[in-house]
Amino acid sequence: MPIKKRGTGLTAVADAWQLADIDVTASYPIRPYTAVMAEVAKRIANGLMKCEMVHGEGEHAQFSIAHGASMAGARATTGSSGVGVAYAFETYSPIAGGRCPIQALIADRTLDPPGDFGSEHTECLNLRDNGWIYGWAENAQESLDNSLMFFRIGEDPDIMLPQIVAMDGYFVSHIAQDYEMPDQEQVDKFLPPFKPQFRLDVNNPVIMGPQIEPEMGPPLEWDRNVVMDRVKEKIVAVTEEFGKIFGRKYAPFVEEYMTDDADMVFLLQGAHAVTCRSAIRYLRQAGYKVGMCRLRWFRPFPDTALKAILPKFKVVGVVDTNTSYGAAGGSGVLLVETRASVSEVPGKPLIQGFTSGLGGETITHEEFFKMAEMMKMTLEAGRIIQDAVWVNFNDYLPAVSEVQAAEQQVAQTKE
Amino acid sequence: MATAEMIKTIAQAPDKEYYLPGHRTCAGCGPALAYRLIAKASGKNTIFVGPTGCMYVANTSYACGPWAVPWTHAQITNAGAVGSGIAEAFKMMIKKGKIKDEYPNIICMAGDGGSIDIGLQAASAMMYRGHDVLFVMYDNESYANTGIQTSPMTPYGAATMFTPPGPEIPEAKKFFPKDPMAIFCGGGHPAVKYGATASIAYPVDLMNKVRKGLAQEGPAFLHVQCPCPKGWTFPANRTVEIGRLAVETGMWFMYELEDGVKKWSILPKQLKPVEEYLQTQGRFAHLKPEHVAKLQAWVNARVQTLGLEVPLPPAR
Repeated sequence: MPIKKRGTGLTAVADAWQLADIDVTASYPIRPYTAVMAEVAKRIANGLMKCEMVHGEGEHAQFSIAHGASMAGARATTGSSGVGVAYAFETYSPIAGGRCPIQALIADRTLDPPGDFGSEHTECLNLRDNGWIYGWAENAQESLDNSLMFFRIGEDPDIMLPQIVAMDGYFVSHIAQDYEMPDQEQVDKFLPPFKPQFRLDVNNPVIMGPQIEPEMGPPLEWDRNVVMDRVKEKIVAVTEEFGKIFGRKYAPFVEEYMTDDADMVFLLQGAHAVTCRSAIRYLRQAGYKVGMCRLRWFRPFPDTALKAILPKFKVVGVVDTNTSYGAAGGSGVLLVETRASVSEVPGKPLIQGFTSGLGGETITHEEFFKMAEMMKMTLEAGRIIQDAVWVNFNDYLPAVSEVQAAEQQVAQTKE
Repeated sequence: MATAEMIKTIAQAPDKEYYLPGHRTCAGCGPALAYRLIAKASGKNTIFVGPTGCMYVANTSYACGPWAVPWTHAQITNAGAVGSGIAEAFKMMIKKGKIKDEYPNIICMAGDGGSIDIGLQAASAMMYRGHDVLFVMYDNESYANTGIQTSPMTPYGAATMFTPPGPEIPEAKKFFPKDPMAIFCGGGHPAVKYGATASIAYPVDLMNKVRKGLAQEGPAFLHVQCPCPKGWTFPANRTVEIGRLAVETGMWFMYELEDGVKKWSILPKQLKPVEEYLQTQGRFAHLKPEHVAKLQAWVNARVQTLGLEVPLPPAR
C-alpha cells in the first residue's frame, strides 16, 4: 500500500532511491541538497537500504564515483547544489557521452558571489549542453515521481543517459509537505532492474571511453544528438504509464493552468508555479485573461510542445529564475530557449522576458501582478515595449516611469 | 589478506599476455613495458582504469585498445574516484546477489600527473577510504603525451617544454620532485598497508609487487619508474639500461613498505656518481657542474632519509 507521508523534496527522493534499490551513492556536503544524503545514510545505518555510500572528497569525485559505479553495472546516484554543481563540471560530458545513466539530485542554490543559500536555476542550467536529461519538480511528490520516471527513461536501453532531478532549494527541498510514497510492488512493475548491455565484466571485456580520430567523433555526437528525440518519445510513453500505475497524471512536457481562454501566460519551471497559480486566481478575478505554462522538462527542451501550445496566446511572459549575463533578450536561459522554440512558427505570440526570484526570493503575488500588468501593456501595444526586464529593477509600468520622472525633477532642484 | 603467488624468474612468468601489440606508443616506451608486465602479473580477472595520459592517448587512439581485459578511461583528475566507484559497485552488487562475478582486481594506471599532481586529491581520497584498488603510478617524470612538460616528478635540472634552460634559468627545472611513497605510504593514509617502488628494469620484482598489492585487502600503491626515450632524450634501445642506471646512481630507490616496515628490494653496494646517469639523457645536457653537485647532494640526502647504508659519491 502506498504510504501517506509528510516530508520534503529531499526525503521524497530518498524514498524514490530506496524504492529503486540503488547500489551506490556518492556524497559530499553542501546546502541545501545535503539532507538527502543524511537521509540515505540513516536508512543504510538502520538497514532499510542496502547501498554503499561513498563519501567523496568533493563534487568532482562524487560524480566520478557514480560514473565508475555505473560502468560496473550498478544503479548509482549522487547530487549537489550551487558551486558544488560547478565544481563537478568536467565530469558531466564524460558521464553522458559514456552513456552512464546515473541520477543526480540538484537542489538549486545561487552561485557565488555573493554566497547566497537561496534557489536560482543557474548552476543546473549551466550544464545544459552536456547531454544530461532533466527537468524541475515543483513539490515533494513530483520530486519523488520524477526520480522514478527519470530512472526509467534514462536507463532505457534505447536511451542510456544520466538524469538530474532538479528542484528549487528550500521551496521544494526543505518545506514540509504531504506526499505519497508508492508501494514497492508498484515500483517494481514500473522500474525494471538496471541491466546495461555493456558493463565492466572480465568475462566480456570491453573498452570504455577510448580516444578516437577526429572523423570518428561526429558520429558519436550525432548519436548523442538524435537520442534526445528518442527521449521525447519515451517521456510521452513513460509519463502515461506512470499515471496508469501510480494514479498521478502529469503532462509529459508542459503543464497548462487556466490557459483555455487566456490571451497571456506566464511560462516558468519549478516551485514558483505554486505562487503563480494563486496569483493567477486573483488576476482572473480582476479581469486579466492570464494562465500559466509550467515546463516539466528542460532537456530535452519541449520545443515541439511549445510550438503547438504558445500560438494560442498573444503574450508569453517567460519568468527566468536564473542569470545568463549578456544573453539574447537580456533575461535568462528560458527566454532564449522559448523564443528559439517558436521563432519560425506562424502566429507566434510576443515573448516577453522577466527576471525574478533571484537569490532564493519568493516571487510574490505583487510581482506576478506587476508582470501581468506589463504583459497587458505589451498586449495592447502589440509589440515588445522593453526587453531585459528585471522585475523591481527596470519595470516598464507607467507608475515606474512617473516615479523616475519625479526623481529626475527632484535631482534637478537639488542642483 | 590473500597470499600472492610469487614469480621466481622471468622464465616462470605467465606466458599469457593481457596487454597486446596494436598500440602506438613510442619505440622503447617505458610505460608500455610496465603495462605489459602489470597486466601479465594481474591476469584475466582484472579491470584497468586508465586516466588521461600517455597510456590512454597512445593506447586507444583509434577507438580500440590493446587490452584483453576490461579497460575504462577516466579523466586525468579522477582515477581514484572512478576506481572507488567501480570497487564499491562490485562489492555491493555481489553482496546483493545482483551479479555472480568474483571480485576483480581493480587497477588504476595513472601517470605522474594523474597520481601526484592533478589526480592527487582523488588518489588520496581513494586510499583514505580504503577501497580495494591497486593504484599504480607509472612515472615517466613529465606530462609526456602533451609533448613533455614539467610535472612534480620531473627531476631538478631537467629540461621540458615548460622548463627550458636559458641564461636566466640555467638549470631548467628549479624544484625537486615530490615523494609519492612518503605521501601515500608514509603514515598519512593508514588504510594503505602495502606500497612499493618498482622499475621496468626489474620485471620479476615489478610483477611480484603487483601481485602483493593485489593480494592486499584494501588500497595498495605502486610507484613504477618508467624511462621515456622521447621525454628524457635517449635512444629507444636504452630504456631498460637507463632504468638500471637510475637505481645504481640513487636516482631511483627500490623498496617496499609493508605495514610500515621498509624492505629493500635492491641494495646497491655503492652508488655510482649521479653524473653517469645525467650524461645518458639529453634533458640534462645543459647542466653545469654546480647543478650536478646540487643533484648529487639531493641524492645523498635521500639516502640518509631512506636509511640506506651505502657508500656515497661526494657531492662537490
